[in-house]
Amino acid sequence: MRATEPITTGYAERDGVKLYWEEFGDGQPTIVLLPTWSIIHSRFWKAQVPYLARHFRVVTFDGRGTGHSDRPAEAEAYSHLEFAADTIAVLDATATSDAVLVGLSCGALWGVQVAADRPDRVRGLIFLGPQVPLAPTHPDRTVYPFAERLDTTDGWAKYNRYHWLEGGYRDFIEFFARQGCTEPHSTKQIEDFIEWALDIEPAKLVASDEGLEACGLESFRSVCERVRAPVLVIHGDDDELAHHARGAALAAVTGGELVTIAGGGHFLQARHPVIVNHVIKRFVDRVAR
Amino acid sequence: MRARYPDHEGFVERDGVKVGYEVYGQGGPAAFLVPASPITRARSWKGLIPYLSRHLTVVTTDGRGTGRSDRPHGRDRYGPDEVAADMTSVLDAAGIRQTVLVAHCHATPWALGLAADHPDLVVGLVAIAPGIAVMPGHDYTVEPERRWQEEVVDPTGWSMRNRDFWRNDGGYRRWVEFFFDQQLPEAHSTKQLEDSVSWALDTEVEAMIAEREGRNAPSYPGGAEDLCGRVHCPVLVIHGSDDRCQPLARGQRVAELTGGQLVVLDGSGHLPHVRDPVRVNRLIIEFIEETTGVAMHTKVWSRGLTRPKRALYLSSPIGLGHARRDVAVAKELKRLRPELELDWLAQHPVTAVLEAEGETIHPASGWLANESAHIASESSEHDLHCFQALRRMDEILVANFMVFQEVVDEGLYDLVIGDEAWDVDHFWHENPELKRGQHVWLTDFVGFLPMPDGGEHEAFLTTDYNAEMIEHIDRYPWLRDRAIFVGNPDDIVADRFGAELPAIRDWTEEHFSFSGYITGFTPPAADEIPSWRAELGYADDELVCVVAVGGSGVGRALLEKAIAAYPMAKGQLPALRMIAVAGPRIDPAEFPTYPGLEVHGYVDRLFRHLCVCDLAVVQGGLSTTMELAAAKRPFLYFPLGHHFEQNFHVRHRLDRYGAGRCMDYATTDPDLLVAAITEDIGRSVPYRDVETNGAARAAQLIAELV
Repeated sequence: MRATEPITTGYAERDGVKLYWEEFGDGQPTIVLLPTWSIIHSRFWKAQVPYLARHFRVVTFDGRGTGHSDRPAEAEAYSHLEFAADTIAVLDATATSDAVLVGLSCGALWGVQVAADRPDRVRGLIFLGPQVPLAPTHPDRTVYPFAERLDTTDGWAKYNRYHWLEGGYRDFIEFFARQGCTEPHSTKQIEDFIEWALDIEPAKLVASDEGLEACGLESFRSVCERVRAPVLVIHGDDDELAHHARGAALAAVTGGELVTIAGGGHFLQARHPVIVNHVIKRFVDRVAR
Repeated sequence: MRARYPDHEGFVERDGVKVGYEVYGQGGPAAFLVPASPITRARSWKGLIPYLSRHLTVVTTDGRGTGRSDRPHGRDRYGPDEVAADMTSVLDAAGIRQTVLVAHCHATPWALGLAADHPDLVVGLVAIAPGIAVMPGHDYTVEPERRWQEEVVDPTGWSMRNRDFWRNDGGYRRWVEFFFDQQLPEAHSTKQLEDSVSWALDTEVEAMIAEREGRNAPSYPGGAEDLCGRVHCPVLVIHGSDDRCQPLARGQRVAELTGGQLVVLDGSGHLPHVRDPVRVNRLIIEFIEETTGVAMHTKVWSRGLTRPKRALYLSSPIGLGHARRDVAVAKELKRLRPELELDWLAQHPVTAVLEAEGETIHPASGWLANESAHIASESSEHDLHCFQALRRMDEILVANFMVFQEVVDEGLYDLVIGDEAWDVDHFWHENPELKRGQHVWLTDFVGFLPMPDGGEHEAFLTTDYNAEMIEHIDRYPWLRDRAIFVGNPDDIVADRFGAELPAIRDWTEEHFSFSGYITGFTPPAADEIPSWRAELGYADDELVCVVAVGGSGVGRALLEKAIAAYPMAKGQLPALRMIAVAGPRIDPAEFPTYPGLEVHGYVDRLFRHLCVCDLAVVQGGLSTTMELAAAKRPFLYFPLGHHFEQNFHVRHRLDRYGAGRCMDYATTDPDLLVAAITEDIGRSVPYRDVETNGAARAAQLIAELV
């Protein structure tokens, strides 16, 4: 049973791709909880929706490739520009003139893009563990190539298209979930992630990973510099998926503020919902009331 | 003494009228605190300024008609346009280009006018108990308002709001006393009432009349509603539900008309910034964070299970005795809980002891307003009215509590230990939602007692303070997780908290654990005394008399008295050697010199000298006298005049131990002092034993919580 049910659901459609959205609450302003990498669907915001919907209007949508949204096959369909355009399509479909955008991990890529291109639609940006190419990633993650067949499946070697496509997908998501929840006693959060990730076809995940590779460091920094909306970054200093330095750099380049969760991993919204909810509420009250 | 002095003070002058202003702090967004002058003035913000100025640039003004400002007569000098021009002049002089306005009562229309006419200057407005006629006033004010200029015979209550009555001898004072009594309906508001009345008496009657009559000048052509509607900046209205000056409906309407938020303080009267400064401080800072977008709170949050166990220890700086016993308790606590990280929030002179002991002092300690200096400023020749000194320390206590609260909000402490940390205990009971971690309260006395010459009024005040404390504990039994009395039940006086209140001993036994006395050191056994004396340079055949007066300047008078007696005493006791310890605040060179007399400034570990002396002459402070009692040395003690703790609580305890000879400073002349010295010096004394395990017992009581 869900803690709170949507008051309205529907689909936005772009270039033949249908995007499933849900709407909760009727306060002001609207908070859009963005999709992240297409390995999980919008249920990953389940600890935020009930609280935020008591104070604001909340819109979520399943990212392309997940949940009730369509799942295109080709890599080009998963570029950050597609997600940014999807976000605008969902704003239009839900009659949302502007909103505070909240993104987890890769969600920062399209959150920043929307804010840079459509400042009229964005009142503020909040990023949790942003996976942005503004600082190097963890060295462990750079050892093994994604698109080459490897003779090992140890550690980050599991992040490999052949492993995913040839029977190792579950092995990978279990590993990945554990990397995302470095905090002890995270069994439920890890189970949830695995369950949601098993809903994704490995081939679609390969496509979405390749689609995201399109975004290079230089171009992303210049996009960030165009952002005028107030920015809040929340980042764990024990984030094994997205290095804390990435969040710090995003806050610095956008003139935003940084809240560090000491001892926190990557899935802050799941593992530390109370502090995350309070920090989001406080920020929205300050910048968008 | 104030908790915080202005960084800059000045005047603006317009048409020959000078208006005083003050600026505090030099960083962050600006806040202009506008009092409802001339019935009150800048000092009414004393509970807010120390805290706000750590985050903001704070400007305040006395307003024309009071304080440092001129007091022009004539209603045309007090019209809204005049006041608004004063306000913009003050902001201009203070170099402020953008500000949040914080206005009280009838300063609200001034602030609204400024916000409407200067939207670039005013970025937010906080109206406390707004006094503006967007809704009718209280019924009982209507008739007096109508008869304001008429002659009224023997008015009482609200009908004292009358021009002629104010001009009569004493009429204005009677009105002011009545008015502020109405405006502070909260129980236990004696200090706030005294302050408010004294500020109101600082103006002149003709200035008050002129302002009242000038206030309604037709400067807001569209009326009050239109004025509110012209304000477009964010607005916060703070209004007490029991405001007997401005009905709550006015605050509600101002919030509606300006699109602002309303915070109702349930049970509060007309002066919440004076009576509940902690809540108002926090509301203002939250509002300014929201309106300016500048965050002033923590940026790191640690997961619950990753946090080390941490304790924050507060040691009262009033008298150095607390520092030594608190260090002893802390050392025992660390022995019992080696994993516990312990920080101290402390101020000079406690910090000197802590540094010598290698303890960790929290950097926010530097923000504390100095209580010890306040106490020194309250004392005169061998006299310290410590109850009134504590009452007059109200703004320092608020200022220091706000520092403390920020430290615990951000420091994630498991445990707060306050040795007579009055600010923490009081304001947590007043603002219970702010409690963080377990709270241990230590004290060596319970109950304020009136000095006889204070008469009925002082008895009323001490009873009121005691009643508030008792109500605090009854209402919030979860606020003190452990209350420790440093002593034993027999050390408690036989008095009651007040005529209708419980006996102090019964109540204390019910609400406290007892650690026994904590000396902070183990006195030498009889066979160790010769070697201690040798180490300190005292010969066996010398009669060593130590005169010690504590760390504050109040000791000078007793030192002078003892030194004046020295030549005569030396004549009668040729082996006499007097060691006078002046302490850090008195210059030893000020005293005459005689052979056999030494005057020192600071003496390291003075207790070692006290432990082996042949006689000590001291004040009536608990720590020093109990050190002497524990070491079983004869001593003469002189309680400070009007110091209820020394005169009643300490004396009762020393009597129980059979320790020391109590002397009256005022009636002791050199002859009497010499007689007492020669009689008692070197005498062996049959005192009751003082326990040596008090620190360990206290630490055990604390350790059980973590």
